[in-house]
Amino acid sequence: MKAIIKKDLLMLVKNRRLFSTLLIVPLVLTVLLPSVMLLAVFLAPEEAADFGPLLDLLPASLKEAGLQAMIVTAIVDYVLPVFFLLIPVMASSVMAASSFTGEKEKRTLETLLYCPLTLRQIFRAKVLASFIISMLVSLLSFLLMLTAVELETFFLAGRLLIPGVSWLLVMLLLAPAISLIAITLIVRVSAKSQSMEEAQQKAVFLILPLILLIVAQFTGLVLLDPLLLLILGALLALLAFALLKRALGRLSYERLL
Amino acid sequence: MLLPKRLRSSYNQLMDTIVIKELTKIYQDGKKALDSISLSLPAGEIYGFLGPNGAGKTTTVKLACGMLLPSGGSCLITGADPAREPHRVHARCGVLTEHAQMYDQLTGLENLLFYAALFGVPQDEARRRAQRWLAELALSDAGEKKLASYSTGMRQKLSLARVLIHEPEVLFLDEPTSGLDPESTQKVHNVIQSLARESGVTIFLCTHQLKYAQEICTRFGLLDNGRLLADGTLKELRARISPGIRVSIQTGAGTSEFSLSAREEIPALVSRLVSEGAQIYGVSATLPSLEDIYFKLTEETAGEDRS
Repeated sequence: MKAIIKKDLLMLVKNRRLFSTLLIVPLVLTVLLPSVMLLAVFLAPEEAADFGPLLDLLPASLKEAGLQAMIVTAIVDYVLPVFFLLIPVMASSVMAASSFTGEKEKRTLETLLYCPLTLRQIFRAKVLASFIISMLVSLLSFLLMLTAVELETFFLAGRLLIPGVSWLLVMLLLAPAISLIAITLIVRVSAKSQSMEEAQQKAVFLILPLILLIVAQFTGLVLLDPLLLLILGALLALLAFALLKRALGRLSYERLL
Repeated sequence: MLLPKRLRSSYNQLMDTIVIKELTKIYQDGKKALDSISLSLPAGEIYGFLGPNGAGKTTTVKLACGMLLPSGGSCLITGADPAREPHRVHARCGVLTEHAQMYDQLTGLENLLFYAALFGVPQDEARRRAQRWLAELALSDAGEKKLASYSTGMRQKLSLARVLIHEPEVLFLDEPTSGLDPESTQKVHNVIQSLARESGVTIFLCTHQLKYAQEICTRFGLLDNGRLLADGTLKELRARISPGIRVSIQTGAGTSEFSLSAREEIPALVSRLVSEGAQIYGVSATLPSLEDIYFKLTEETAGEDRS
């Protein structure tokens, strides 16, 4: 099993197209997007009107700190976490698509099935490889984002920022759960798709619920406070568990080939 | 061992590495790919499983490796049932099919080491075996190159090295020499023969190239439309169809063809011709080739089907 995980990771590094997709999207989401937002807040505060509906929802305790600080908190603790969740979805989809459908397309899956591991072991190794990559990319992205945001607030506002408890929930609960969901869904899709591109295209639909959340929050419909995130995370974790169990139960050679 | 014949044959079946009993496969679309085939092979046999494309050769291999589940009948490969414990069968088998490819982004050597690791071969030992097979199959220079740059023939040879890396007891080879030049074909044949003779590996060789099969196989199964038309050694198969022998004799007057029932009749024929005053320049006898047998049998069954 270790050999499969090691091989999947090695293949990722050797595949430049795949590797660059995995690097560029997080860079845009964690460095470019927050920077643009923060710069806008500090350099052109009058544009902050866009945040109006969202700001109205923020807890009263935050309102004492002044408009600018409030907007910064809104961005860092409420807007960015949802955007951030796009990273595990993207990373795990790309990785799972290459690791399952890619093997099928390149006709290496059959060779793998002839090895003395059970289907469950192969499946677990592959899910684990995708999961490790997804978590690794998420963690690195988070650290990168934190550095960028801290540097910017330090130089622009002269203070450091403490990320809220939301981030803890995102990193420990939501990102892992959402990665597992994406991986199992991709595996199911890939059983029916003939090419890696097809599987990846279908995976794009996974992003829709997240986009809806982002829009809902900007329009002031919901506020993703830590409690809501916790509930959402718990639900997603349950869903991930159920999907994974179902996928394991339905494995068969005939279905895979 | 002194055992009554019936007992002896069931004892042999217990010891045989490949035992297939009344194996049937009907696909979901209703197509009957295999129709109750039975065969039993001891260790060290090179079994030529012959038939045209679509006869059911690959289906048989997939059933024997547990990739497909049988609609009826069963197989036992080195004592394990592929339908129930495919991983145990895989541990002792090497499977080469045209659909089982390796990774383009890895080098030949990296590929071999990866599969060796999957089969639990210790790393040092895996490296040693990989180098040995690369050398034996004239791929040493290509070992450090990525598979993407390999030709079809090189891929095929590397696949053979892959299935040998864990020293299997049984080899399923589906068209192992397709895409190979004559020199490589010879190399592959030598490897196959020495594995069977020296290491007692059972080799299940699927091919539609009857001439090659006749050269290296010790036993044959002729498959057509999912049915096993005949199973046996070349001698047995020859005896089964008309045991005739074709003799062509060159005389001063030209070449005449005779049909005899056994080799032993040739001297009498020649002396009769000589006594009749014929000048004999050459005598050549040909036994029916695998190809002759195959066509004869398919014609027979086609005739049976019609009537």
